[in-house]
Amino acid sequence: MSRLPGIRPDAKMLWLIRKELKSLFRSRWLIFGLIISPVFAWTFEGVFLSFVVAQTTSEPESVYITLEDQGIWGNTLYSQIESNMTPLLIEQLINITREDGNSMVNDRTLSVWVIIPEDFTQELDTNNASTMVIWVNTGNFRATAAANRVDIFAKSVINEIQIIRDLKVNWFTITPEATYGHSLAIFLVMIVSVLAPSPYVGKSFAGEREQHTLEALLVVPMSRVSILVSKLIAGLLLTLLYSVFTVIGIGIYNWSILIRAEGLPPAAMEYYINLYTINPATIPLIFFCQMLILLLAISIGIVISSLARDQAEAESINNLILLVPTMVIGMLGFTGSILQYGGLFGIFVLAIPFTHAILFLNGVLSGAATGASLLGNVAYMLGFTIIFLIIGAKLFEREAIIA
Amino acid sequence: MNTKTWSIKAMNETVIRTEGLTKIFEQGKKREVVALNEVSLSIGRGEVVGLLGPNGAGKTTLIRILVGLLTPTAGRAFVLGRDVTEEIDYIRERVALLPQEAGIYERLTARENIVYYGGMYGIPEEELHRRADRLLDIVGLREKEDYQVKGFSGGMKRKVLVARSLVSEPEIVFLDEPTTGVDTIGARIVRNLLKKLSSEQQRTIILTTHDLNEVKELCDRVGILNEGDLVAVGKPTDLEEQFKAANLEEVFMGLVTGEGVYEQ
Repeated sequence: MSRLPGIRPDAKMLWLIRKELKSLFRSRWLIFGLIISPVFAWTFEGVFLSFVVAQTTSEPESVYITLEDQGIWGNTLYSQIESNMTPLLIEQLINITREDGNSMVNDRTLSVWVIIPEDFTQELDTNNASTMVIWVNTGNFRATAAANRVDIFAKSVINEIQIIRDLKVNWFTITPEATYGHSLAIFLVMIVSVLAPSPYVGKSFAGEREQHTLEALLVVPMSRVSILVSKLIAGLLLTLLYSVFTVIGIGIYNWSILIRAEGLPPAAMEYYINLYTINPATIPLIFFCQMLILLLAISIGIVISSLARDQAEAESINNLILLVPTMVIGMLGFTGSILQYGGLFGIFVLAIPFTHAILFLNGVLSGAATGASLLGNVAYMLGFTIIFLIIGAKLFEREAIIA
Repeated sequence: MNTKTWSIKAMNETVIRTEGLTKIFEQGKKREVVALNEVSLSIGRGEVVGLLGPNGAGKTTLIRILVGLLTPTAGRAFVLGRDVTEEIDYIRERVALLPQEAGIYERLTARENIVYYGGMYGIPEEELHRRADRLLDIVGLREKEDYQVKGFSGGMKRKVLVARSLVSEPEIVFLDEPTTGVDTIGARIVRNLLKKLSSEQQRTIILTTHDLNEVKELCDRVGILNEGDLVAVGKPTDLEEQFKAANLEEVFMGLVTGEGVYEQ
């Protein structure tokens, strides 16, 4: 079997890995952090979203409406909405003119505004399709939920009465995107995974130097690459703990949404579950991608830690360098396809290796990815990991490492 | 700068030999610091050699070159007949180092510190524990073997470190200030252990210290370094005689600070 130059996988490496893990597992705060950070993040998000589900499924909202169509279908739709205000959780149905509506849009005081346009009936009669317009303040959970209820209800009314005709809603998307739950998974997996290895890497490299344990370690009959790889493996095994608790955290998150959605009508329950929960079948891929992110974060951390004077400096620089780009691209993940950005900004975003973790997760979770694109994402991240490990190994070989 | 070099004929089989060993550290683009200046010496198997010198004299640099942590700028160094720049893997299997500011893994127990370190020399686990038992008995820490060392005093930690450096049963042991911070009884235990290693097991010991009594008690020979130069090498009594000094301290002070006038 071929092996990397300078690495002899043997009992010596195993002893070093054991030493690293034993020492780390006695650091209660470090272990506590690795367990609590994913569980807390997911639980908090689950509780927050279950609150959102509760708000949007029991709290009524006022809906503004403009009926311009004088034909049969516009009036039918209006009267159906009016007579179903209670199940639709509409507190008040307020008639306004288009001018009033536009004014509220401009003032940003609008919650939900339904427009049944002038040609609504005519379009349905002649083209078998028509368009109803809904304006919604998406910053308001209740308004968004109310708009969604009206949308579903309007389609059901038209479909029920006019069997051969249909109220169509056109969805415009560039590429298929993940659901909110999956966008959230991407964001949380990214942010916390990038930062999780920082304490270990700082402790294991800069910390060894600061504690004056490195010099004796470098004299043992192991190549420095073997020492580096052993520490890398120990780091991965340690962060495996973090990954396992991420899966547990996702379980808690899904459970908290399911509990809240359980009492809702079947259609609403299905809607909320699909929107917010994470499909358990995708968890192995999330886990795999998380390990790639952790490996990359550790390799970057090794480089930083080999240059830093002490553990505190290593952790500070590590957090600074990793947190900012990850936050940026993590948030971009919520704004739609990360591939939509052009120009220099687009190139910058694509050059960040963690962007490819988002692309990978987004592609997998939305089902839009091809095998080749996924392989490309994995190869890009692994390529960066290898480059950083080589740089880390070179830095680790320097005489100054013991200075 | 004094560029005089010393070449000492060892008593028996030579295990360490340096030839014009020089180490220059670059500090910035223009400044250079000569840490070792053409140092030549030979050390025989089973010898206990003390390296004396003020801080920054080059003692630690010399040891670091001999264990392959630093590369010489010029000259050559051989350990067990192998060039340190070419066959360091062979050398490292057979030597051990207790660094000057050696840290210890605070969250591991005394036994774990010894066993894990020995494991990295490829020693089987059962044998490692046998050796750890023996070493812990010798340094008097058997009763505390399962305590994490973070609660130990500085002297107790130093004893664990001495034991740790001996667990691989090295042919040559480099000890950079082994008894610093150790109480009187502990220091006595460590010295006796080193004496035994040298006399009974023919281990070669190179140690640095600031304690001249320790040198007199332990060392067959002493090398005095000053500003990177090896300014004197010999048996303590021979040096006293050579420099017509009442004791080793006078020899040391004369060579390092210029107090007194010596004829070589």
